[in-house]
Amino acid sequence: MISSLRPSKRRPQPQLTPETGSQVTAGIKNFELKRNDKYYAWLFLGPSLLVLSIFVFYPMLRTFYLSLFLTDNFGRPTVFVGFQNYVNLLATKSYLASLQATGIYVVGVATFTIIVGLLLAAVANQKIKGIEFFRTIFTSTMGVSVSVSAIFWLFMFNPSIGILNKLAVGLHLPVVNWLTDPHWAMVAVIMTSVWMHLGFTFLIFFGALQSVPKTLYDAADVAGTNSRYQFWHITLPMISPTLFFVAVITLISSFKSFGLIDLMTAGGPTNATNLLVYRVYRDAFVDGNYALASTESIVLAVIIALITLIQFKLLAKRVNY
Amino acid sequence: MTSLKTGWQRYWQWLVGVLVVLLALGGFAYNRTRAHADTGRTKVVFWHEMKGPGQKALDSYVKEFNRKQSKYEVVAEFEGGYNDVIQKILNTHGTAASPALFQSMDISTSQMYHSGFTTPMQKFVDRDHYDLDQIIPGAKAIDMRQGQLLAMTFNASQTALYYNKAVLRKYGITPPPVDPTYSDITRVAKEIHSKSHGQVKGMTMEAYSWLFEQLVANAGVPLTNHDNGHTGNATKADFTSPAAIKAMEWVKENIDAGDFMNFGSGGNASANESASFLSGHLGIFMQSSALTGQLYKTLKNDLGVTYYPRPDGTKANGIAVGGAALWIANDKPAAVQDGAWEFTKFLVNAQNQADWQAKTGYLAVNKQSKDEPQLKALFKKSPVLAVSGDQLARTKPNNTNSGVFVDGWVPARTAIQNAMQQIFAGEDIKKSLTTAENTYNKVLESNNRANGRN
Repeated sequence: MISSLRPSKRRPQPQLTPETGSQVTAGIKNFELKRNDKYYAWLFLGPSLLVLSIFVFYPMLRTFYLSLFLTDNFGRPTVFVGFQNYVNLLATKSYLASLQATGIYVVGVATFTIIVGLLLAAVANQKIKGIEFFRTIFTSTMGVSVSVSAIFWLFMFNPSIGILNKLAVGLHLPVVNWLTDPHWAMVAVIMTSVWMHLGFTFLIFFGALQSVPKTLYDAADVAGTNSRYQFWHITLPMISPTLFFVAVITLISSFKSFGLIDLMTAGGPTNATNLLVYRVYRDAFVDGNYALASTESIVLAVIIALITLIQFKLLAKRVNY
Repeated sequence: MTSLKTGWQRYWQWLVGVLVVLLALGGFAYNRTRAHADTGRTKVVFWHEMKGPGQKALDSYVKEFNRKQSKYEVVAEFEGGYNDVIQKILNTHGTAASPALFQSMDISTSQMYHSGFTTPMQKFVDRDHYDLDQIIPGAKAIDMRQGQLLAMTFNASQTALYYNKAVLRKYGITPPPVDPTYSDITRVAKEIHSKSHGQVKGMTMEAYSWLFEQLVANAGVPLTNHDNGHTGNATKADFTSPAAIKAMEWVKENIDAGDFMNFGSGGNASANESASFLSGHLGIFMQSSALTGQLYKTLKNDLGVTYYPRPDGTKANGIAVGGAALWIANDKPAAVQDGAWEFTKFLVNAQNQADWQAKTGYLAVNKQSKDEPQLKALFKKSPVLAVSGDQLARTKPNNTNSGVFVDGWVPARTAIQNAMQQIFAGEDIKKSLTTAENTYNKVLESNNRANGRN
């Protein structure tokens, strides 16, 4: 994904000399002479097709199939109900609330991750003494697993011993029930998620900033532009492919947030953080309602596909490669 | 041409290489499973969900059982949380991966029974003329169906009410009686709050459905039609009975008085409330009796325990045991099932249950355990540890205090928990409970339809 979206575009293309050119055509000719291309294609694609069909295509089709039934205690489809599950699901208030919560979460995480990541990268891109230390610190969350960061933040959010509320008391600010107040719980998981995504985002942005040719800034300086102008008209366009990449990656990965939710709120309080993926898990593996979980999975898949499509259509136009 | 040929060769080399590795791994795994059988004993795989002290104690019983006899070898395997295991059992049954004996939680009784995957314990009880009277009636009631024992209650717990005697002493407050009513608790909670000038919160209740269900049970009212599913298949939930509303009104009264502290729900909530309680910031809370030992370690004789509260003006109906029971799977040969039964008997004998209660805080299910020297000494030293056991012992089982015999109760718990959170946040009691009831009725309806039951 990384290589296909960004650096490959800049990689120097091999120069075609007359010699290599003729070799290539000879090779192609050879290939065309072979009648059993198809045979080789199947041979080489076979294993991955096999793996994909067993682990991806079959489960996908099966999920769709299950979503058209009611499933019994063993998860077996017993009563065919057509699209009734979808109709019921989209009329369920708490599911619509989950949709909304997921929207808020995903947009919140993506936005803040990009803003803060870019900010940190911009700072780290300056020539300041000791900046290497901060560069290391900024990337460090990449090495922290979901469970560790969840526990770490749980301690900070703890109502009686958490540092956040101790700070609030010290500063005479109102104490916040981070994980028991439905509104603040969402803020809390977004904060944690942004923090977790930061290391990776920072690293990508930092690399992008470093690769913006210095000559552009020099020319801009000569033209007498200020640094804000340079940011909007040089930096941003030059790193726009990276921005797009990070936006897609963060959005999709926050759609899939599971461990964090499971460890921090378990979907609560009052379903405020019951995101779509977590809901699927609960309905399938806690409540044992496989039909409902399958229906939700299909809806989620459609949503993710749509969003990715829109992103590619809209953003790709504005990306300045 | 030549490059294609080497590619072709490499392809086969890789394929063969991968196959060799897979075969080697398979062989290794096969050898590992065979290793136990080579001892000439019958292997009995036992799935459990005990962590911490429970796991430690359980492992020691397994070790002792394996040492004491040479016919069976019990292999205990930790399988995660209660919820996970239900699905694991249902999905592995009939395969080599499934266990011979497994532990499954209180509210899964109906589902396990209906699965048809288990051998009712009554079969072994009748065959061996096992004295079932030694098991406390209130403890086994949840695992009985029409007079037949389906499973053996193993780690029993009940809801209990805890209060901090030191806090009460400090502010000169009379402790609640051992069998308190709602208003007894409200009085103490309000006094704690007012006499400490808000320094100490009066009470809390985790938004935990089990606690709600037991308040309703103690009032002698069922949560579904057909007597909680004991006399027929449940088709309608009843979360809005006067008893249910009264229970929530009790909490609401304390919320309005400002003495109630809301910790939310889930593992963090129970950890936070006991931390608050132990540090003297909270006077009263309700949780599983399994917590008694842990609280006692810190508070010693300043720990106060009472029976679960009952509505004013009514006699306590008694409450169901929570925790989990042992089930024998029927997909294993008779010899293996016999081994599972032998081990079950061993786990619930008077001595082991006494040790189990002393080490874990779960309530001994064997009547004679309280006469074992270990528990006798413990109760003499700290009488408060005996309170929840007394509550269990005096419970006369009936259809409202023997749990719910309904498939898929977990979604009901989720719905009730949401209602509790809403009520704690100030929303209307009747409205919140009605929403929960409607939500679960839909689940119940489609579940009955899918499983061909009416």
